[in-house]
Amino acid sequence: MGREKEKEKLSEKALNLLRSRLSDPNFIFRPLSDSPDSNYSKLKFIISTSVTEACNNSILLLGPRGSGKVAVLELVLSDLLQQYPEAISVIRLNGLLHSDDNCALKEIARQLCMEHQLLFSKVASFDDNSQFMIAMLRECGLAHKTIIFVLDEFGFFAQGKQRLLYSLLDAMQSVNSQAVVIGVSCRLDVDQLLEKRVRSRFSHRKLLFLSPSKEDTERFIEHILSLPMDSSLPHNYTAEFNGRLKKLLSDERFKELIDTYLSFNFTIGHLVRFLFQAVSYMDLSAGFLSLGNFKTALSSNQRQPKLECIRDCSVLELYMMVCMKRLEVKEQASYNFYSVMTEYKSIHDSFQTSDYYAANVCLRAFEHLLQCQLISFIDNKGHNQSVEFRPVKLLISSAELHQGLKSYQQCPAILLKLMDR
Amino acid sequence: MPAIADRSSSPFKAMLAAKSCELAGSGGCCTPQKRRLRSDTALAAKESPVSTPMKLKSPRRRLDSSPSSPANRIKKDPSEKTLKKCWNPRDVEQMRAVKEAVHVSTAPSTVVCREDEQKRVLDFCKACVQQEKAGSLYVCGCPGTGKSLSMELVKQQVIDWAKMEGLQSPEVLAMNCTSLANTSVIFSKILGMHQPKKKSIGSTSPLQHLQNLYSNKQAQSSSKMMLIIADELDYLITRDRAVLHDLFMLTTFPFSRCILIGIANSIDLADRFLPRLQSLNCKPMVVTFRAYSKDQILSILQERLLVLPYIVFHQQALELCARKVAAASGDMRKALSVCRSAVEILEAELRESASNTGLTSAEGDFVSPRTALAYEVFPSQENNTVRIDHMALALSKTFRSPIVDTIQSLPQHQQIILCSAVKYFRGGKKDTTVGELNKSYIDICKSALIPPVGILEFSSMCRVLNDQGLFKLGQSRDDKFKRVTLKVDGADISFALQGVRLFRNCLQ
Repeated sequence: MGREKEKEKLSEKALNLLRSRLSDPNFIFRPLSDSPDSNYSKLKFIISTSVTEACNNSILLLGPRGSGKVAVLELVLSDLLQQYPEAISVIRLNGLLHSDDNCALKEIARQLCMEHQLLFSKVASFDDNSQFMIAMLRECGLAHKTIIFVLDEFGFFAQGKQRLLYSLLDAMQSVNSQAVVIGVSCRLDVDQLLEKRVRSRFSHRKLLFLSPSKEDTERFIEHILSLPMDSSLPHNYTAEFNGRLKKLLSDERFKELIDTYLSFNFTIGHLVRFLFQAVSYMDLSAGFLSLGNFKTALSSNQRQPKLECIRDCSVLELYMMVCMKRLEVKEQASYNFYSVMTEYKSIHDSFQTSDYYAANVCLRAFEHLLQCQLISFIDNKGHNQSVEFRPVKLLISSAELHQGLKSYQQCPAILLKLMDR
Repeated sequence: MPAIADRSSSPFKAMLAAKSCELAGSGGCCTPQKRRLRSDTALAAKESPVSTPMKLKSPRRRLDSSPSSPANRIKKDPSEKTLKKCWNPRDVEQMRAVKEAVHVSTAPSTVVCREDEQKRVLDFCKACVQQEKAGSLYVCGCPGTGKSLSMELVKQQVIDWAKMEGLQSPEVLAMNCTSLANTSVIFSKILGMHQPKKKSIGSTSPLQHLQNLYSNKQAQSSSKMMLIIADELDYLITRDRAVLHDLFMLTTFPFSRCILIGIANSIDLADRFLPRLQSLNCKPMVVTFRAYSKDQILSILQERLLVLPYIVFHQQALELCARKVAAASGDMRKALSVCRSAVEILEAELRESASNTGLTSAEGDFVSPRTALAYEVFPSQENNTVRIDHMALALSKTFRSPIVDTIQSLPQHQQIILCSAVKYFRGGKKDTTVGELNKSYIDICKSALIPPVGILEFSSMCRVLNDQGLFKLGQSRDDKFKRVTLKVDGADISFALQGVRLFRNCLQ
């Protein structure tokens, strides 16, 4: 009893460790950024040359959502702040909040004031704020301080007259200022949204954040899920955990599972979320990760609500849906309850099934299908007519219906045969 | 105005003292260690005639401020040109100097290839100042053709010329119209130049005040002419075009004293927005700055590189850059940016080769500074200049869109969706709904024996593709009825996916 409790405590500790790792973007992106031609090193090189050589630069970070653009940028900035603590100040703007020019300049002025411990006046006008920004750029340039502007959701700044972008990029064309403008966006063609003159002042550097290759992904999973040897957990537990993990990762079925998951969504963000779910399913009494955890995570990720509805249906309801499918295949544009009943009768006549019910029972089943939203009325006009006469349509595709029938326990074989035809 | 205390140079002097020997040692990302201080060079240089009391000037500004210096620098001994030695890209100082020479913000001392246009504008201004008559001029051209740069020089030249001739030099008001909060603020600025001490009277607007001023002869002979340079003029265009109109009309008043130069991108701004001026016969003179041709770009680049005492670029590399940029847009900023990125590519290549050889030779030992210096002693001729392949790589980075790379790295199902969209739209249709696209997608999946995903997952993948700019999704309450169009050319998608057999067969 005591040993089991101890084991549970250990596994809880291990679980907490893994979960905290998976939620920490620094930890996730550090191993991916070690090689010299990763985006991390390229970005770091560009920004650090701008800081040391006192030249201006602008760059765009592009990539799908969840591919780590902002995370890598934050890594680079924190590293550089450690390296040159006095020479960098960072201003962060977000396109969703500050796309209006007045708002954006106010925010820039406020952040500059905060950085340099000056008093910020809320009633400063647009003119005052822009004068302030230009003056600060000049002063910082003379004091060898670089200002880094991070513009998140860059696409939103390109709406309207693009005044803010123009004034920022124009200020960078002068010798006096020392600034770097970094735009982050998930649209690949965001620089086509810029006006001609803004685009001309932009330096056309783009860093693409693509998903890592298969081998990198495998290495990444292994790195993240292995427990460190020097943690507070006992040594033999850690060694056994890592050993089992290695065996699991080289299993063919696991590789297939990961391939299936990655064929939908390839970004690091999605993968980390998937791993988090799998790790949370870990059995605490056993204390180790197993293939079943990952399978459960995968299936919970790919919920299909209509299939779950089908699982709750009765056999009669399944019959009705198959009849409607057949009517559709026969290219009947619209059908109502009575046409479905006709089809049902013809099936019964040709195949002599045992499931033949009276019309009122079928009507109940029909209404239940309407409630489940597996079928619905085509239009809302015929409120006066009774349920049996109004035309309906199926809300579920034939593939999903087929899949639902296959996974239905005790599904009559005739239905499957009818669907296949 | 806020003031930051000037940084004392003591903490940085320590950094300068320590030699950077990490060049060859670290395998990962190296950041350039030495930091060049503007204050150091300014201390060493002689005082320039125009200096601000608080701050020390950088070498760049020093060169531009004294009007007599530009001529001296360019005159090079003809024999010196042929004896230019090769540069050493590993020297941090030289690298920095090269990058500075090719940076957009470095204003060149003379503006080549724009002599005609400058002469025209200068003659116009001279005539106006001499005859004490008002006039207006409109400068137009694509971005990056040297308009603002030329106007800066003209401004200086007019003042100098007036001084030389003994005439009253005009006051200059140069502003960028994007920085105006309100379009009519420009009039109060002009008024402020005229009467800096007087406060504006509340009842009349600045515009009316100016109009009054110019309509009456009030001791005009003593007041100076005013040269107004308005950059990015199209920000003044409002719906009723009143402000732009009034601005140009100011020059038509009988006793007006302003010479107005407007700079914008569109060629027909004067015709479209100022039709009434034609009837008054005071249409502004138009000076067009054409996009640079290949030869012009080449000569401008060479001019900039003349300040360096060594050869940095291969001649053919410069020609390739000039030809490509001239064919694309004729924008000088782009050419400079491409040159800068070619230099950086060379730098990265040398860094990588240094770290590779450094790592293999060191075998875990600490690489002493002597071995690092050994590379500097024997630079091979070929490795030091920016060659055509560096330039080609820089050009492809600038001009190529990232679409092909992104499509190739999409997950499989999203690629299938793109493929089905291309196939669907081949028949001539322009857009469709998500539901129809789903059917086409399911067909392709069936033929490839891949299990298709459900409609929910399908519509979320369509949304991801929309975020990335490959699709365009319309609005609709029901997911299935959203309209879908392709934003990328079908040929691009076919090109990107041609490596995979499945898609090749599909898209035949």
